[in-house]
Amino acid sequence: MEPNQPSSRLTQRQQAEERTQQQTRPAAREFASAEELLRFDAAQTPPPPDVAERLKQSVATEPPPALPWWKRLFRR
Amino acid sequence: MDNVELTTPAPAREQDRWEHSGFGAIYAEHSRAIYYLALRLLGDATQAEDATHDVFLKAFRKLAGFRGEAAMRTWLYRITINHCRNLQQSWQARTMVSTADDALWERTAGQAESPLRVLETKELGQRIQRSLDALPEEYRLLLLLVADENLSYHEVAELTGQTADAVRGKLHRARKAFAAFFAQTA
Repeated sequence: MEPNQPSSRLTQRQQAEERTQQQTRPAAREFASAEELLRFDAAQTPPPPDVAERLKQSVATEPPPALPWWKRLFRR
Repeated sequence: MDNVELTTPAPAREQDRWEHSGFGAIYAEHSRAIYYLALRLLGDATQAEDATHDVFLKAFRKLAGFRGEAAMRTWLYRITINHCRNLQQSWQARTMVSTADDALWERTAGQAESPLRVLETKELGQRIQRSLDALPEEYRLLLLLVADENLSYHEVAELTGQTADAVRGKLHRARKAFAAFFAQTA
């Protein structure tokens, strides 16, 4: 068969489309265990920055923290 | 003449207390783990944010009493677990008893050994939450704690009030149950 025949060109186009689809298709991710999956999820789930800001404000209104017991002991 | 503000401005006070107490460093190191545990135990991002704030504020208040007998992470986890349990008990809307078919994972033998395949990570969090919600509370907590590589089996056992051997035994069933429910969410 001549390489420039219409049917050959169609095949080439189909192959090119398949290659493109394979490239854009997300690769399946595999996790060996539930823990591994949860670790992956946790790594992608940071606490919102608002929490730190709220906490800073709350901590600022608290009385100063008492010294730890071992620091109190050595102060005597 | 206008009164001159001689006291330290509030933002500077916040920063001082945050940094000089060393609490900023504690938050930076542990906040991700605490937020994630709260998120997956409560199943709600807003509640998890509030819980994370409240847990760390409790920790700040109790910091002087922290004797270092347990690791800081374990201590914070204990506060988080108790806090989330109290919230769930007070809500009463969310039952702690799983409505799922308890025998489901027994019928799906072998799934625990198969890898968990994920094609789309966009909705992964929702799938994980649905699978965890379907588990009994004990299994859910075990999986979340064991997933933290900073914790030993001994520490997980202490946090869940059982022996390390019991943790290992239940963990196998918890993995199997999770895999079965996770497969259903695909």
